Amino acid sequence: MADAMKQTGQEASNAAYGPPPVIGPGHTFASVTEKIASIVLRKGTKRGWMVGFGLSFLGMLMMLNTITYLVFKGIGIWGNNTTVGWAFDIINFVWWIGIGHAGTLISAILLLMRQSWRTSINRFAEAMTLFAVACAGLFPALHTGRPWLDYWLFPYPNTMGMWPNFRSPLMWDVFAVSTYATVSALFWFIGLIPDLATLRDRATSKIRKVIYGMLALGWRGSTRHWSRYETAYLLLAGLSTPLVLSVHTIVSFDFSIGIIPGWHATIFPPYFVAGAIYAGFAMVLTLGIPIRKYYGLDDFITNRHLRNMAKVMLATGLIVGYGYAMEAFFAWYSANTYEAYMYKNRTTGPYWYIYWLLILCNIAVPQLLWIKKYRESTVMLFVISMFINVGMWLERFVIIVTSLHRDFLPSAWTMYTPTVFDFTMFFGTIGFFLTLMFLFIRILPMISIYEMRTMVPEAKLKSEAHASPDKPAMPPAGGPQESPA
Amino acid sequence: MANTTYNAPPAVSGWQQRALVVGVIGLIATLAGYFVDHDQFYRAWLVGFIFVLGITLGSLGFLMIQYLTGGSWGVATRRIFEASARTIFPIVALLFIPVVVGMHSLYHWTHLEDVAKDPILQQKEPYLNVTFFLIRAVFYFAVWALLASFLAKWAKQHDDTGNHSFRQRLADLSGPGVLIYGLTMSFAAFDWVMSLDPHWFSTIYGLLVIAGQGISSIAFTIVIATRLWHREPMNHVYNSGHFHDLGKLLFALIMLWAYFSYSQLVIIWSGNLPEEIPWYLRRFSNEWKPLSWALLVFHFILPFSILLSRGLKRNARKLVIVAGLLLVMRVLDIVWLVAPEFKQTDVGGLWMYATAPIGIGGIWLWFFFRNLQSRELLPVKDPQFEQALVAASHH
Repeated sequence: MADAMKQTGQEASNAAYGPPPVIGPGHTFASVTEKIASIVLRKGTKRGWMVGFGLSFLGMLMMLNTITYLVFKGIGIWGNNTTVGWAFDIINFVWWIGIGHAGTLISAILLLMRQSWRTSINRFAEAMTLFAVACAGLFPALHTGRPWLDYWLFPYPNTMGMWPNFRSPLMWDVFAVSTYATVSALFWFIGLIPDLATLRDRATSKIRKVIYGMLALGWRGSTRHWSRYETAYLLLAGLSTPLVLSVHTIVSFDFSIGIIPGWHATIFPPYFVAGAIYAGFAMVLTLGIPIRKYYGLDDFITNRHLRNMAKVMLATGLIVGYGYAMEAFFAWYSANTYEAYMYKNRTTGPYWYIYWLLILCNIAVPQLLWIKKYRESTVMLFVISMFINVGMWLERFVIIVTSLHRDFLPSAWTMYTPTVFDFTMFFGTIGFFLTLMFLFIRILPMISIYEMRTMVPEAKLKSEAHASPDKPAMPPAGGPQESPA
Repeated sequence: MANTTYNAPPAVSGWQQRALVVGVIGLIATLAGYFVDHDQFYRAWLVGFIFVLGITLGSLGFLMIQYLTGGSWGVATRRIFEASARTIFPIVALLFIPVVVGMHSLYHWTHLEDVAKDPILQQKEPYLNVTFFLIRAVFYFAVWALLASFLAKWAKQHDDTGNHSFRQRLADLSGPGVLIYGLTMSFAAFDWVMSLDPHWFSTIYGLLVIAGQGISSIAFTIVIATRLWHREPMNHVYNSGHFHDLGKLLFALIMLWAYFSYSQLVIIWSGNLPEEIPWYLRRFSNEWKPLSWALLVFHFILPFSILLSRGLKRNARKLVIVAGLLLVMRVLDIVWLVAPEFKQTDVGGLWMYATAPIGIGGIWLWFFFRNLQSRELLPVKDPQFEQALVAASHH
């Protein structure tokens, strides 16, 4: 009898094994549509949104002012000097580009890998990608000093007989980033079409009906529409997948193709890609946790989503840590004076505190994610992802500034100090990014309505199994068992 | 279905015998080579050892990854990975002994009189010295053997008791386990292969070797799964969905391998530094140029193009040909990493690069098949078991 009881108890705990559903219990097709669409279609705007948007908009204005002054005066208003020719501009470029990567990973790779939990976060992660790429693109475009001549970056037949240097990774960047922006925008928009049609059908005001109607491109939801749509979406996912790797690989080539110690390392491509995904997931959590709280979306962005993202962050963070470890080991193992000095300068030179802050933010603090309790706590996850956001920015500072400021010629050694315009430009892009994010969640469905609807039947089955753990989901093979007393 | 057992078919013991015969013949041939050319014997042995180590540790890595991620591909192939991973101790560790014996012949940094004349090697001496090299080797094998034995033990207990707390424990070990594998294998790759040229270094080298191990283990698993699929009981189990999953993994891995290889090449080529570029110059010299081209075409372009086809990945009979090709290319890739580091005094000794992997591989296979027969071919108590059998056929 005791044995039988033990057996049944075990069956019970076994039945609950496996991931919980990706959508809260009790939802129907109608309630999913209603919940997500109402955020967009409600009349009037919530005060919290207005405050957040207003503050972000002020940040954006700061950016626009900085750009105006920059174009008027030249990039001398930044702290860059002849030794440290790349500074905040490139740090911020790499930081923003990296943040975008989580969106592409979630929307493309996780789709191909049939990870159904991606569904509720892909839309706003993709939007985040687009806005981050927009912010990133500003920096190299302005760093040229004459942004009105930036079209010279493209290889086009011209009367000057001038061509860009195809061996330069900066040239490859132009292609990588513009392809990335184009494909991401396409993917995002295609994903929106069925939802735009839903909004068109539910909108009550004439203007909304017309605008959403035009954007929906005549979507009627017929079987033929769906069949073509699914094919197009999968093809775009396949096209986007290499972009997750290629863009940040090219960005890493910007550094590693040269021979500056601290830049010229073969580990750079995979380590940059991992860092990008790391930073991107941190940003998805940074944005997702408050949004989920404010709009009460706990049923859609469940704890399971947060937990999975925490695991991805832990894994990619460890790859980044592997990159740091390899750099440190080979700085010694290479027996190359310059490599060794580079590492010594990083850890004990004038910018030592930045390096150790980076280790704290990117390596030490995220180890808390090994602990299940912290993966389950939204507050802890938010705090840890803030650390990672900062850490990934510091990483680029360490790579760029500490490698450049003391190069091969000691007579050229100098220090780099950012000016106030470096900061207004950087924080200004954060304002720009958040402004776009606020507009996005107000006027477009931030969670994919139609994809969430496909989750409903599966969630129903699973939630029944979870709700009654003393009843195994399937009858055990050996016939009916005694129920526990 | 409840009463079905999934024991290995009787044919497996026949394969085991044949593997032993082939292995012994290969070993005898290689040992005969020892008397022809000592140095060449050790080089060939190193190639064979690194190849077999790749299947073993790649399988250990995938065993842990499938515990971490779940999914039906893992349930269907878990026992094959496990049987490979369990060979790490004692047989793979024993196969390392000739490398230790032949150290002086293989590793230039063991020649103390040359180290004394070379300031760079002197600087590396705290790491590249015989004592520390051996301590590290013992440490690597101890770590791998411990990982493999715990994974095997808890899986057995899970099978015996059906208690899913063991499944959880396997996942809990696998997280840190993958990290430990990545770090130890990187340093093992630096020690055993990269230090053949003690002046050269590349920070991506560890990942490059690990990606190669991944290809070896998935290709090998596809070969074994296909053999089993022809017979009871696995002919009722494996379907095109399972092979599709394995084919996709293989496809992803050869892209990863090519990505790492290309990154290393383009960064070193464009830097063109005297301390880095000689490694490639040797491989692009006239002797080794054909092999470099062969790797590009048969280790990447051809399998990549073939594996683009969805139908082919779902067809085990065709997929296994690609897997077989890749296993051969794995050996050649390791030859490419090892052989150009030495001045080839006698071209006649090159045949040992073929006999050593066959001999070592045959012996290893005998142990692998023994492990495979010792357990049921499927983890029947796994919570995803039923789902794994049916789900795979639908996509």
